[in-house]
Amino acid sequence: MSPRTRHALEFVLDNLVWFMLVFVLVVFSISIPNYFQLGIFANIIEASSVLGVMSIGLALVIITGHMDLSVESVAALGAMAVGILFCSAGIGLGVQLHPEWLMVPVSLLIALAVGGIIGAINGYLVVKVKMSAFIITLASYIWVRGLVLVISGGRSAQDLAPAIRWFGIQRLLGLPLTAWIAIACFVVFSLIMAKTPFGRHLIMIGGNETATFRAGIRVNRNLVIAFVLAGAIAGLAGWLLVIRTSGATANLGVGLLFNAFAAVVIGGVSLKGGVGTLPGVYAGVLLLSAINTAINLMGLPANFTQVIHGLLVLAAVLLDAFKQTIRQRLA
Amino acid sequence: MSGAQPGMSGAQPGMSGAQPGMSQPLLVLDNVTKNYGAIEALKGISFSIGKGEVVALLGDNGAGKSTLVKIIAGGLEPTSGRMLFEGKEFLAKSPAEAKAAGIETVYQDLSLCTNVDVVANFFMGREITRKFLGVPVLDEPAMEQVVEKALASAGTRIPSLRTNVEHLSGGQRQAIELNRFVHFGGKLVLLDEPFAALGVEQTRRGLDMIRQVARQGIGVVIITHIMQQAFQVADRIVVIRQGVVAGDVARNKTSPDAVIDMITGETLAGAGPAG
Repeated sequence: MSPRTRHALEFVLDNLVWFMLVFVLVVFSISIPNYFQLGIFANIIEASSVLGVMSIGLALVIITGHMDLSVESVAALGAMAVGILFCSAGIGLGVQLHPEWLMVPVSLLIALAVGGIIGAINGYLVVKVKMSAFIITLASYIWVRGLVLVISGGRSAQDLAPAIRWFGIQRLLGLPLTAWIAIACFVVFSLIMAKTPFGRHLIMIGGNETATFRAGIRVNRNLVIAFVLAGAIAGLAGWLLVIRTSGATANLGVGLLFNAFAAVVIGGVSLKGGVGTLPGVYAGVLLLSAINTAINLMGLPANFTQVIHGLLVLAAVLLDAFKQTIRQRLA
Repeated sequence: MSGAQPGMSGAQPGMSGAQPGMSQPLLVLDNVTKNYGAIEALKGISFSIGKGEVVALLGDNGAGKSTLVKIIAGGLEPTSGRMLFEGKEFLAKSPAEAKAAGIETVYQDLSLCTNVDVVANFFMGREITRKFLGVPVLDEPAMEQVVEKALASAGTRIPSLRTNVEHLSGGQRQAIELNRFVHFGGKLVLLDEPFAALGVEQTRRGLDMIRQVARQGIGVVIITHIMQQAFQVADRIVVIRQGVVAGDVARNKTSPDAVIDMITGETLAGAGPAG
């Protein structure tokens, strides 16, 4: 095999999920009437912003070889905290700040802090108490959702302050600002993972934790930071969620975790750790969103969505195994 | 290096081994012990390594060699005893601390991250960066250049430095680790069975590398099972048996047969620290 075909093949393997996305979009555009519209594509991106942001945090932790099942509940808690403070109806307290724009950074900081604190608790328990991240974050998944129920009393907050809602309404190049925030997050975190020593260390910790420890990398510190980041990013997802729905209910975001998982796996992140890139995860998120949109347009019952997502995850795992065999042949 | 005799250890590395007491030793182990529960892995190890000296650490399986290396390298804490590094009390609580003090280690089970490429592994934990808007960014071209040079000078051929290590052979992987310690140097190098996966030619080069490193005044501790390698490269041979030093002799004052006897415990000839 010539080096050129080899490089081409490796490029395709590395970006397989992007090719799948383009393929799916082309097929849908040809076969489904009205699919090929800028508005539809904008909608696909817009609808994936909350899921996309949440997937970043989840992917970070999985790449380090750990797990964070709590991201969905953390997003809900962040959303509820902002909802209670800055909504004016339901259980909302309707807190007003002057000038009004001040509510934007304050609400954002609250969502990030709520997420960051729970991420820190997760990280501390994983690193210091040396319990399995799966169990610890499963517990967080449950107790944080419980906390949402407790502070909301099972009721909801409505009518988010207009200054914050502005992010969901104001559009730039056809996309709402919330979608741009998600895109910006992907760009920033992709760069961090690919270009900085911190990102490189996370990937290597996921590959061989003992080796990184022996090489003098501060593994525990890096892991805690990864969990705090995952929590804070989930908080940001919650902030986007509360804007999107202009309020918060106690069951806000239920089911997002499994979609995030699907996106991360489809995006090429290995659950064993050490493998995967964030651009791939974003393609995975868009792929799910494109398929949802197709289901809507075809008028299929929404219940089909879950079946298709499940099959997609299976396909992604099979594809991953297939990719591994091809790569071994290449080497 | 002691102030009174500046040239002593650096100029004649081969000689310093016989009389470690002549210049200040690089590392002194004083009655180091390690218990795992009721099991005494190390019952009290005392020996020293001079600058530029190559010490071969021999012993049967389970004698405690790897435990000892981990204690020096900061992967394990000793139960008791003390260590002096360059004349100062020394205890590395983590590999990072040992590394900061100048101790490099090549472990028996390879310490590579197979999910990243050769360059990333070579620079693991000490990447070259440049600042971009105040943020440290990996300087890939600079790192690649260094690795290319280091591997070329050691005669190691790896098709692409950007291949993930999982696709490399055992010999190529070990070569990465060996070249890594040669490049970064430090003051003391610990090698735990470094040639297990290497071919004849690569082993010869590896042994050359060790002598070359020692000539720079770096102390080397090499664990090996192969007597011939120990006699080829070492200035001094230290034998550990059942958690204690069963022999500590200059290479040119002993023979493979005598060393084998020390390992198996047939005789205690030459036992105890030299002197």
